[in-house]
Amino acid sequence: MAATTASTTTSSAPAPSSRRRRRGRSVEGKPRVAVAFTVLFFVLLYLPIIVVVIFSFNSRKSLSYFESFSTRWYVQFFNDEGLISSLKASLLISTITMLGSLLLGVMLAIALERVSSRKARVVGTVSLVPLVTPEIVTGVAALLFFTGLGIKLSLTTVILAEITFSISYVAVIVRGRLASMSGEYEEAARDLGCTPFQAVRLVVVPAILPALIAAGLLIFALTFDDFVLAFFTTGVDPQPLPVRIYSEIRLSISPAINAVGTCMMAVSAVLLVLALIVPRLFGSKDSSIDMLS
Amino acid sequence: MTTTPSTSTTPTVTTSEGASVTETAETAIRLVDLTKRFGDTTVVDHLNLDIHRGEFFSLLGPSGCGKTTTLRMIAGFSDATEGSIILRGTDVTSVPPHKRDVNTVFQSYALFEHLDVAGNVGFGLRRKGLPKDEIRRKVGEALELVQLGERAKARPRELSGGQKQRVALARALVNRPEVLLLDEPLAALDLKLRHQMQIELKTIQREVGITFVFVTHDQDEALTLSDRVAIMNQGVIEQCGTPEDVYERPATAFAAGFIGTSNLMTGTYRDAGLEIAPGVRVAVPGHAELAPGQQASIAVRPEKIYMYDFEPGMVRISGSVAATIYHGATTQYLVDVAPGVRITVLEQNTSRQRNDDRWSDGDRVELGWQPEHTVVVT
Repeated sequence: MAATTASTTTSSAPAPSSRRRRRGRSVEGKPRVAVAFTVLFFVLLYLPIIVVVIFSFNSRKSLSYFESFSTRWYVQFFNDEGLISSLKASLLISTITMLGSLLLGVMLAIALERVSSRKARVVGTVSLVPLVTPEIVTGVAALLFFTGLGIKLSLTTVILAEITFSISYVAVIVRGRLASMSGEYEEAARDLGCTPFQAVRLVVVPAILPALIAAGLLIFALTFDDFVLAFFTTGVDPQPLPVRIYSEIRLSISPAINAVGTCMMAVSAVLLVLALIVPRLFGSKDSSIDMLS
Repeated sequence: MTTTPSTSTTPTVTTSEGASVTETAETAIRLVDLTKRFGDTTVVDHLNLDIHRGEFFSLLGPSGCGKTTTLRMIAGFSDATEGSIILRGTDVTSVPPHKRDVNTVFQSYALFEHLDVAGNVGFGLRRKGLPKDEIRRKVGEALELVQLGERAKARPRELSGGQKQRVALARALVNRPEVLLLDEPLAALDLKLRHQMQIELKTIQREVGITFVFVTHDQDEALTLSDRVAIMNQGVIEQCGTPEDVYERPATAFAAGFIGTSNLMTGTYRDAGLEIAPGVRVAVPGHAELAPGQQASIAVRPEKIYMYDFEPGMVRISGSVAATIYHGATTQYLVDVAPGVRITVLEQNTSRQRNDDRWSDGDRVELGWQPEHTVVVT
């Protein structure tokens, strides 16, 4: 073997390179700097959150000294009628927003994907604008719109604003799924005796069901902890939970807020995991995250 | 399915144009001046066609000729701009697709992924509200017909291309439509499977006796499968007839060129011959319809041309071999008979001809063919 002989005769040559690897590279050959950055990224991202979770179980009121494990802040949270009514309000907002934006978003997606005219393309592009508009602009605009029309701010106005904002997300996710389906799919349903509505109900909806579930869960999670839009469009009582938390901590920082935060995080995390897993259970390779990218 | 009791009288249909069309019992589909325009573009131009019951009918043409648009209008997916579609004596031009007694086999198969094979095949029957037992029985029969009885519980994604094709066919056939529409159903299959499916399609069509309207751009497929072929080009039918008709007696230059290869020669007709180049004449005997001085085109198939063993009465012309292409069973010669006029000749490599007898480039050769193989085209 010529290669073996060659490497043994020049055995002194590989030494410097292996020393260099030991200094700058990990065993797998990835730069250590990249590994360090990745670790730092996760530490900075999750450390504050972990602190919140840890101190939500603190037996003392201190936010800097952890004494012992206790669930007293959770008890306090669940006995706080104001916070609980805010929690209920947020759940209500998220549920209605999810259902409303799914219905409208699917209709928009089908229309945009199956009508190929210049008008449809214009509408398609315009419908993406909410995704790139700064949320504060959307919030202020919604506030001006409602007050301009003399509509009293309430949970209804929050829901209307959230639905409007969420339709684009649903449309983007569902369109991705529809685009991978040939238009012959609906035609086949029509051909086999379906009215246009039955074609959507019996064939299109089952086909896009994974995308619908993913989109729904995502919208629920996004709406549930949305602050900006809710802040501008909510009435006085009950306020959505994120707005409520904000006004609470302006007065005094209570560890009960840590408990609320931990609960909200848990809800969002569960929904996100579901959004990733459920489409796979239906045998689809696309998860909501793949579809968004 | 409701069957109208057949009457001995021939029903008369009034089309949207007000013209009275006599419908014979044998006509499955009649297209009357069917036209489709997208903006300024006319895709299908005043198509008139009768498709007989139980017939395997092909619409053959290059892409963009309007054949798929015609099929989509028959199915109801596309509205006719003008004209009418008459299905078994009933004007269905404005009937929505789900109420037309036609079913389609789609190019992409369009199988429903959320249903298994049996669910797909039974879909149309369930829409009709048939009892469960009957659906199960009919689905079983349809799957047996396409030899997929074992895969009833499989999901579409678990099937091979050929199996998907069969499911799509069974799903359409199980409804026993008056007419089955097939939109290039074999285009996605590889060559070997395609040949196998061609034979199977033909067998199934004979067995069920349903009228098939088959859209294809593959001339071999159209010739092999069809009882009759309509050659379409730029929205009009160039020629309609049996495979033998359209191959042996092409009516137009397009038909001659699109089906197989054809030697097209154009020139001025005079004294029972065509001057295809200055001083080069091809005899065209027995065509009284041609007037002296008229510009005319003739077509001759490459395999009809002899290069030896001439018989009396043959049309003769001489030229020089420009190229020789060996195909195994046949050899193709390109022969220049006049400047700019190159004729393709296909010779069988039979045993009576020794290998060293083959002509090579530059050889002077004689060509000859029977006068009835000269086809005057427009």
